[in-house]
Amino acid sequence: MSEATVLHLDQVSRIHGEGATEVHALRSVGFRARAGELVAVMGPSGSGKSTLLTLAGGLDSPTSGAVYVEGTDLSGLGNAGRARMRRTSIGYVFQDFNLIPALTAAENVALPRELDGERSAAARRLARAALAEVGIEDLADRFPDEMSGGQQQRVAIARAIVGDRRLILADEPTGALDTTTGEEILKLLRSRCDAGAAGVLVTHEARHAAWADRVVFLRDGVVVDETGADEVETLVESGHPA
Amino acid sequence: MSGLTSGLTSGLMSRWRPALRIARRDALRHRGRSILVLVMIALPVLAVSAADVVYLTSDVNSVESLDRRLGAADALVTAQPGAGKVLQDFDPNSGSTSGAGGSDQEATSLAQVRATLGREVPATEWVETQLSVDTDRGVIDIGANELDVSSPLADGLFKLTSGRWPADDAEVTINAALAVKGFALGDDITIHDGKTLTVVGIAESTTSRNWPRAVARPGALGADTQGTHQWLIGGGAVSWSQVQALNAVGALVLSRAVIENPPPDSERPAEIRSWSSGVDESVIAVVVLIVVMALLEVVLLAGPAFAVGTRRQARTLALMAASGGTPRQARRVILAGGLVLGGTAAVLGVVLGIAVGWALLPVVQHFSDSWLGPFEVGPLHLLAVAAFGLLSAFLAAVVPAWLASRQDVVAVLAGRRGDRKPGLRSPMLGLVLVGLGVAASAAGAGQLGGGSTLIAASAIVSVLGMILLVPVVVTTLARLSRRLPLVARYAVRDAARHRTRTVPAVAAVAATVAGVVALGIGNASDAAESEATYQPQLAMGMASVTSYAEEGDDPIDWSAYADAIHRQDPGARVSEVVSYDAPSAGSFVDVELRRPDRPEREMFMQSYSGTFGNLLVGPDMLGLASPVRDGDLDAARRTIQQGGIVVFTDARVDGDRVVVGGTRYSDDGSDDDALEPLQLPAYFLQVRGYGPAMAVVADGVLDPLGLTSSTTGLLLDAHGLSKADEDRIQEELRGLDSNAYLFVERGYQADDATLILLGILFGLGAVLMLGGTLTATFLALSDAKPDLATLSAVGAAPRTRRGVAAAYALVVGAVGALLGAAVGFIPGIAVTYPLTSTTYYASGLDAAGDPLPSHFVDIPWLMIVGLVVVLPLVTSLIVGLTARSRLPLVARLD
Ligand SMILES: Nc1ncnc2c1ncn2[C@@H]1O[C@H](COP(=O)(O)OP(=O)(O)OP(=O)(O)O)[C@@H](O)[C@H]1O
Ligand SMILES: [Mg+2]
Repeated sequence: MSEATVLHLDQVSRIHGEGATEVHALRSVGFRARAGELVAVMGPSGSGKSTLLTLAGGLDSPTSGAVYVEGTDLSGLGNAGRARMRRTSIGYVFQDFNLIPALTAAENVALPRELDGERSAAARRLARAALAEVGIEDLADRFPDEMSGGQQQRVAIARAIVGDRRLILADEPTGALDTTTGEEILKLLRSRCDAGAAGVLVTHEARHAAWADRVVFLRDGVVVDETGADEVETLVESGHPA
Repeated sequence: MSGLTSGLTSGLMSRWRPALRIARRDALRHRGRSILVLVMIALPVLAVSAADVVYLTSDVNSVESLDRRLGAADALVTAQPGAGKVLQDFDPNSGSTSGAGGSDQEATSLAQVRATLGREVPATEWVETQLSVDTDRGVIDIGANELDVSSPLADGLFKLTSGRWPADDAEVTINAALAVKGFALGDDITIHDGKTLTVVGIAESTTSRNWPRAVARPGALGADTQGTHQWLIGGGAVSWSQVQALNAVGALVLSRAVIENPPPDSERPAEIRSWSSGVDESVIAVVVLIVVMALLEVVLLAGPAFAVGTRRQARTLALMAASGGTPRQARRVILAGGLVLGGTAAVLGVVLGIAVGWALLPVVQHFSDSWLGPFEVGPLHLLAVAAFGLLSAFLAAVVPAWLASRQDVVAVLAGRRGDRKPGLRSPMLGLVLVGLGVAASAAGAGQLGGGSTLIAASAIVSVLGMILLVPVVVTTLARLSRRLPLVARYAVRDAARHRTRTVPAVAAVAATVAGVVALGIGNASDAAESEATYQPQLAMGMASVTSYAEEGDDPIDWSAYADAIHRQDPGARVSEVVSYDAPSAGSFVDVELRRPDRPEREMFMQSYSGTFGNLLVGPDMLGLASPVRDGDLDAARRTIQQGGIVVFTDARVDGDRVVVGGTRYSDDGSDDDALEPLQLPAYFLQVRGYGPAMAVVADGVLDPLGLTSSTTGLLLDAHGLSKADEDRIQEELRGLDSNAYLFVERGYQADDATLILLGILFGLGAVLMLGGTLTATFLALSDAKPDLATLSAVGAAPRTRRGVAAAYALVVGAVGALLGAAVGFIPGIAVTYPLTSTTYYASGLDAAGDPLPSHFVDIPWLMIVGLVVVLPLVTSLIVGLTARSRLPLVARLD
């Protein structure tokens, strides 16, 4: 408990649809990620992993419960406020990279800063620093179409960390990459967390979970198991039958 | 044989059926995009169909108009004075000749007509002419009809709407157009210089409605037809050979039987046929130009939707290709989309067009002079319009289909979005076409008179070339976009990446703007020419009243005219114009002017009005002239007061003395009498273009020549006189004298029609620009969903979507407008050469006496800036404000 909690999901439920087509994607989930910590989220398909990340990133709102990022309740912020949080505090990495093909690598990385109103020269400087951090500064002026998958994912990670954001959410970031490239991407995430960020990594592969400080297992929208620190607390919070 | 055909059709069907099925499903699945294409194609089809229905209905052809022109009669026979054979078309209104011989010869009589027909037909005379009637204010002209409306033959010519028909020769019916001039049932109406009748009914002619008309019993109006007779004839059909027999005795015939069942065309007299040979070539050229431009515009507007649809199907097509499908099959799927949507749009457009046309008829009738005919739909026309819709959809799908058939399968399967790199071949071709367009425009400009068609054709070539250049422009812009703010940079780059979607939209805007700019330049230059070559007839703001006495009339009492003016405008400043050389009984004077050092008579003015006479009297007459320099007037006035002569001139003339001489000719040509020349101090007053007379002197100055002065008209200070005042004074004056004529010099008046035309052009351009821009923008937004989702994930505020939309609209609108304006200048400037060539002006001088330029170019900058700067900005603003401000979510994309 020495490090500050960056992400806290408090009794979060998310129900999709209504009536007969109702789907409980998450049921009263409690979840924490602290500064300097990389948490892996695992579970079978449809267990609610992506849902957990979209809620954590403020892209979606919980049906009940609250999501706190660096102590701020996301639901109290409104759309614009949540967007600001994504520009300044939360970084997203997706399985399929999600770079904007019309923008160069540097411009893609600079996006959050530019959207935040920073001058584009300054934003670009920060972007180059972030690209250097992920080891591809020399590709700054390439367009996504002109890069390999691994390179594109590095750009996406650079975009997630630019501007010193403290929470990094990665949804199967290695899913579209070969093993070695995937390992390098995870290494990058790990080092970012070592530098003080909180990371949440959704993954299918136990091998990747090894990079995490602890692993949270989801099944049918419920946290069913947890390894690593603070196991008891998490289990109690999730309402998991003891 | 039939087996072979059915084999072919079934083969064709089996090849196209899967493609059509995919296309239909796809159209239903992507409703938004399908509706967009439907609207783009159905709207023009609807508009043209509706216009066609209205046109056909309001166009009353010979057969439809028969009852209106003939009533219940079988023929209308018109006999004009002058004897001998006449020639006519089947419908004499379409063409006829008049008889030989003079107007003093008797017209064919009814007895002759009956004799020629060889039977005793029932007939009734219908006098149709023009008369003047007195109104409260003066006199107006009306159509006068004398006809026994109780005759069964006249049934259907006039329709009584209230009151009753005249029962005796003191009664008359009038139509609504005459009633509004101040007549009601029971009122008296007086024929000018004629009898007074009582209005007993309101009756409308079935042919025309806005022209004032009256109908009375035969002879009741005292109308003078100057020897022309017209009879409605019954008693059976009049055949074409009988018509020709009547022609032979000098009568024209409108025969119901001939119009309803016209004889073969070869029966028309050769002379008549030669008049109506074919349609004017330039009319065909204009029609072709309009159709091609409209087709181009529709194709360009619908094109982006097909481009987007094609990309949506890119993965399907790539998978087809990966599993062995041929490029041709890929192409077919996209083309089938064009056929399905085009077919639906064509049918919808035509059906709705007929409905809209029908609904518009009452409105059209309200503004129309004549009564509309029966509701009429032209199946052949509508088929052509529908074919146009189908063709435009097909053409809009052609380029995307071609691109789909040669798409990069690997790139598509790898999930790369965006088009291939542009080639160099089509921009080169574009440059060549633009070059050709410029050359053809220049050639057309150099060609006197007939160059407009060539210039119009060159405009199409230039626009096509420009379309091929759009990709290069867009790509270049994307390269230069590094420094732009984020949303603008994104919009430009995205536009360049998706050229199949962007280019047609930009081209649609550009083609529209090019057309508007070209027409605008032509129009403005034309107006500039009219203004520069305008010849004022009086000083600005002055008015003249002139008239002439007919043989046997009393001399004109000008003071009565002045009184009439004062009745309408008590404060009017009226002065009499006095002239030294008004023709007097038995003789007229030809006055000559020259400077003392020249032996010959000199013309100081290229053209001047002789209405008031050549030599006017009194310094007030200087008010008739429009001096080039205002200061000159005082000097001129002094010269007159000191007994000198002021000579009007349109050039700079040196000299201060003039010799006045001339010859007096007597009307019978007996003794011509040279006048004793008289030298006078002179002032040459330079005036604008057209002079009011040769010179002005003080009264008495020319008496030594043996000349006498007399009044020849009135001069009226018309400053502050409105057009309505003018009409009232004119009506008042016509009450005194039907030859009285009031003219007010108002200077050059921009033609209302020109301004309205420019307004319509601008409006049309705005609508098309908005349409093209909106289409492209909303397609771009739906294409950009993944990018917008990414933007949202990295923290873009919801309004970013609006920013992207507005930036995209600005790119499409501004690039299109700039390119279009540039291309529009080519034919626009070229067309000013044939349009405003001044080689026809004899003097080659403008109103200030300066030489005219060889042609006029006036560029309507205000309109062009409006099109190129304001309109794209406004469009972008509208798009920005109306775009949804919700970003899609990454999690929900699949
Ligand atoms: N927009 C939605 N509407 C309805 N149901 C949804 C929606 N999004 C997710 N779900 C449902 O919520 C449950 C959890 O989905 P989620 O995407 O979080 O699973 P996941 O663990 O990420 O699966 P995977 O490993 O396949 O990515 C699923 O049953 C899914 O069908
Ligand atoms: Mg998932």
